[in-house]
Amino acid sequence: MFNSFASMSDIHVSVSAQTVFEIAGFPVTNALITGALGVAVLFAIFGYVIYKVKRGKYNRFVGLVQWCFEGMFGQVMDVIPDKKIARQVAPFALSIFFVMLASYWMSILPGLDSIKYNDVSILRSMAADLNFPIVVSIIVFVMVQILAIRTLGPIGNLKRYLKNPLKDPIGAFEGLLEIVGEVSRYSALAVRMFGNCFAGEILLLLIAILTSYVSVLVLPLFLLFELFIGFVQSYVFFVLTIIFTSLAIETHGHPKPDHSSADIKNLAQQE
Amino acid sequence: MLGSLYSFAQASSGDSVFTSIGIDWKILIFQGVAFLVLVFVIAKWVMPPLVKAVDDRQKKIEEATEAATQAEKNAKKAEESTQSKLDEARQQAADIVATAKQEANAQLEASEQRAEQKAEAIVTNAREQIEKDVIAAKKALHNETIELVALATEKVVGKTVDKSLDNKTISEALKEVR
Repeated sequence: MFNSFASMSDIHVSVSAQTVFEIAGFPVTNALITGALGVAVLFAIFGYVIYKVKRGKYNRFVGLVQWCFEGMFGQVMDVIPDKKIARQVAPFALSIFFVMLASYWMSILPGLDSIKYNDVSILRSMAADLNFPIVVSIIVFVMVQILAIRTLGPIGNLKRYLKNPLKDPIGAFEGLLEIVGEVSRYSALAVRMFGNCFAGEILLLLIAILTSYVSVLVLPLFLLFELFIGFVQSYVFFVLTIIFTSLAIETHGHPKPDHSSADIKNLAQQE
Repeated sequence: MLGSLYSFAQASSGDSVFTSIGIDWKILIFQGVAFLVLVFVIAKWVMPPLVKAVDDRQKKIEEATEAATQAEKNAKKAEESTQSKLDEARQQAADIVATAKQEANAQLEASEQRAEQKAEAIVTNAREQIEKDVIAAKKALHNETIELVALATEKVVGKTVDKSLDNKTISEALKEVR
């Protein structure tokens, strides 16, 4: 019945991003191409907005971007008590939010899995390539460690994880848990983003194929849903980044692992 | 679908777990560097103007609030000063009216007094004139009477009586009569 339309056997789902072509042994994957496209759109938007803002001209679009920026920036300032550190973290956090949003929203572009080059679909959201969330999450981890060392000192930072088990057995156990927590936090950060985006793309593909011609009516709803999820996931990545930063900085003196895990649990529930 | 599962299985049996889930170190590092460049660009060129706009707006809001408070204060002050001026003016007006009334009263009294004095003076003058007239009349009558008596006596006594003697006698007689 649906033979004329794309059939189940046609979809090709790959967990990893596929190489479209290679430049001197470097594999250029479809996620890289789409990611570059997303970043280009992002730069175009920011360039336009800054051009307008510097000339003091306002329109609704500039207002929208500024409102978004202000809200995000205000949130960084609210969550991180130290204003100097907040200003340092803000570019990271904002870049994460905007680049994740841009790359996630690329997945709703038409032509997903149908525009092909070398038999490989060109469009694949960069967040749906595990490399990108993982590397961003590693960068966040390194940034948080650097900031923690700067605020607490190298020994102070180590004391968050390692304590003398003879003097403070409970604290030593907590430190051990903290190490496990760090690993799980950052890997969860990356995998959550990847999982959502990848699943979203598969969802869109499946809906398109299952509903066949009716997908003209059904797909927009799922596209809207994808836009929403994309915003939520980018926002979660952003908020977790600043929360991890503020946690690493404020545990000085009296660590409160309960508080930190409660915060993360709350966020996890909100997802 | 089956094909993908197959490739997944094939990959995981091959190199490593990382490759099977699509992690490629080259791409990982490339994306990391690209992301850091993006952060740099945003921190260097995107943040400052937007943050400045945020700060400017905040400052403007604070200034506007300050100005509004100041304006309110000024308005209150102006109202107070208007009220006090109005009170002062009212007080002055009342004073002026009061003094005017007093002056008018004083003037009235003064003119009344003057009129009274004048009237009195007129009356006194008139009285004096009358007295003078009466005296003059009496004198005239007196003289006439003397003449008349002299004439009568002449007629009665004869023409020999000296005039000066006559006068003397008659005056003495008149004094006695009186």
